[in-house]
Amino acid sequence: MNTSRSSLVRGFLLALTVIGGAGTAGVYFSVARERFWVNWLLWTLFLLTLGLGNLFLVALERLVGAHWSVPMRRVPERIASLIPLAVVLLLVAFFGVPVIFPWTFPAAAHNPILVAKTPWLNLPFFAIRLAVCAAVWMLFYVFYVRGSLRQDESKDPAFTMRARRLAPAFMVVFFFSVTILAFDWISGLEPEWYSDMFGVYLFAGTFISGIAAMVLGVLSLMRCGRLPEVQTKHVYNLGSLALAFTVFFAYIGFAQYMLIWYANLPEEVIWFKHRIEGAWQPVALLLPLLHFFIPFFLLIGSVGKKHPAPLRLAALSILLGHLVDLYWLIFPVLGPVPLFSWPELAMACFFLGLGCLQIRHAMGRGADMPVGDPLLCKGLEWQL
Amino acid sequence: MSSGTFAVLGLFSDAHKIVEAAKQIRPRKLGRLEAYTPYPVQGLDRAIGLAPSRLGRLVMLMGVMGAGLALLFEGWTSAVDYPLVTGGKALFSWQAFVPVMFEVTVLFATFTAGLAMLFALNKLPFFGHPVLHSKAIKDITRDKLALSIEATSATFDSEAARQALVDNGAESVEIVPVPAWDRALSLVGFLRIVAAIVAACVVAGAGLYAAEKLMPVVPPMIHMHDQPKLNAFRKSAFFPGGRGMRPAVAGTVARGHLPPAFATPEEAGTLLSNPLPLTQSMAERGRKVFGDHCAICHGPVGDGVPLLSRAYGGKPGNFLSNEIRARPDGHLFGVLMLGKNAMPSYAADLDKDDRWAAVHYIRILQRAQNAKDEDLR
Repeated sequence: MNTSRSSLVRGFLLALTVIGGAGTAGVYFSVARERFWVNWLLWTLFLLTLGLGNLFLVALERLVGAHWSVPMRRVPERIASLIPLAVVLLLVAFFGVPVIFPWTFPAAAHNPILVAKTPWLNLPFFAIRLAVCAAVWMLFYVFYVRGSLRQDESKDPAFTMRARRLAPAFMVVFFFSVTILAFDWISGLEPEWYSDMFGVYLFAGTFISGIAAMVLGVLSLMRCGRLPEVQTKHVYNLGSLALAFTVFFAYIGFAQYMLIWYANLPEEVIWFKHRIEGAWQPVALLLPLLHFFIPFFLLIGSVGKKHPAPLRLAALSILLGHLVDLYWLIFPVLGPVPLFSWPELAMACFFLGLGCLQIRHAMGRGADMPVGDPLLCKGLEWQL
Repeated sequence: MSSGTFAVLGLFSDAHKIVEAAKQIRPRKLGRLEAYTPYPVQGLDRAIGLAPSRLGRLVMLMGVMGAGLALLFEGWTSAVDYPLVTGGKALFSWQAFVPVMFEVTVLFATFTAGLAMLFALNKLPFFGHPVLHSKAIKDITRDKLALSIEATSATFDSEAARQALVDNGAESVEIVPVPAWDRALSLVGFLRIVAAIVAACVVAGAGLYAAEKLMPVVPPMIHMHDQPKLNAFRKSAFFPGGRGMRPAVAGTVARGHLPPAFATPEEAGTLLSNPLPLTQSMAERGRKVFGDHCAICHGPVGDGVPLLSRAYGGKPGNFLSNEIRARPDGHLFGVLMLGKNAMPSYAADLDKDDRWAAVHYIRILQRAQNAKDEDLR
């Protein structure tokens, strides 16, 4: 019964991916190239930020020596397996760089602002940054996730100590790499615009959507009865973390908007003007609703943090909000009207199918709890 | 049994035992259960049947109210009551209101949390909890955990409560009597408290005054306070004479204010001619200058009949007279600049172009009042 349902889901995901893949090929050959690559970038960044957000959660637990999250740690470790997939997709996206990034166009040579930025915005250096970031992410992914899986068998406490010692280094490298990701791949689409805050903004979105994905993973495993030892208190703490960083994201997002709105400098304000006026206004209004108001009011009471239904709804709202956020950041380069039609749907099917297949694949590896971690027992006994 | 019992205290030394005892005793409804522990004990709140606090909802309500009030206040002051465009922004700029809304939300929420917890939910002020006067309090604040069954009605059975605690493993049991509240609540007690507050205020005030008078005031931040620059009205050791402000070099002239090259109006009449062309806008400007500065004495048509009362007593010049009509433009300009008889200099009030515009207008008035036939055609 259970296996038949599992194979049904697998078949559905495979069909979704194949159909989406065919659609994606169709998009490449029938629609404007720019639209294809912008879609590609959107979904690559969505999968990559989910993976990075969960790797960050894993490393954060190591850094602060948290116990409560140890029983649930396998979930972020599995979602972090999106990183290898997304890194490959990002490397492929490099072929789209001359199509969608204006600083690579011949006209950029006559733009004094872009000429001044060439020490940073040039293809060789861009490729080096991409390679270094990808290598760093893969390195830490292999270290934390594969190492944790190996610990299941070896039960070696030395790995826990190593993981803790390496966590501060990860934090530093992680913040640099996410800032580079934000500057290079998102704000680089409109290279005349600049915001110091933008790296932090993408980090806040990455972190909160990572937490949301972890919440969904934990809740669905608990519903299947695969995490019998995880109790309300663990879920409650996860909900509190989600609430805190929902507020953090809103704070960073509004701070960036308000400073630019106040200063009213033409080269900065134009970026927001394209995104909050005209046909983009509904999308801009959707963003605070999905990314802040719905999850905030769902999670503010203790009820919302303990019970699966409101928690799941809040997590879904945050994830959808993160997707809308990336869409709102990236898609206005295509024009003043939000594009959403069969190319977007086809590519959504392809990438979502790929991502789900990757996570399902990762779910087959290792136990549902990090059984080799010496802190697991403390985590299970942990009291609020 | 005895109506003078406040509560029956049972002491435990094991956290698990006290939770178990609370679970056993609670269904018997002997009285209200309360616990005193030197450290937080997991699950004890549920075991004694503590209801979830109402504080959260109260804080939420007040927080939302704070945000709403701040928005209303800021919107009303900046868009309705005193509309003033600042930095080219819209009058109702919600973006600028958000930081203050946030602050007021936090202010209302924290004050509600603190004050409601103290006064509404914990029912302060409270002159000493009866348990503080028990013998067990020393142990409770050290290493013992106490479960207390508080009397809720006159029919409280302290013997049954004592028995229940002993049966459930209490190491010792103490009956805490209702304290004599009237000692603190009497008039004398109240006056003592007021006197103590007044005395504390006097001592603190006197101490502060003395400290400020006796000790030099040290400013906490002086980085930008003392700068090696010259202040206009301060003493300076840098220049001889000790003045910070420098006198202008002899012969300095302010931009656009060259001194006149003439000493008398007559001289001006021979030296100067009106450099401004007579246009419609120049005539309008001249009329405005004349109306603002000249008409009050020389009259609206320039006939020397002042708008002021007769009591003024001056004899302003009549621009329509042949004598003044014959004077060159430069002469009139010179009078405006240097003054004549009782008329002061207008050099400070009118700039060069204003003066020439006024001269133009005087010529227009003269011509209008002495119109020839061909002017009317």
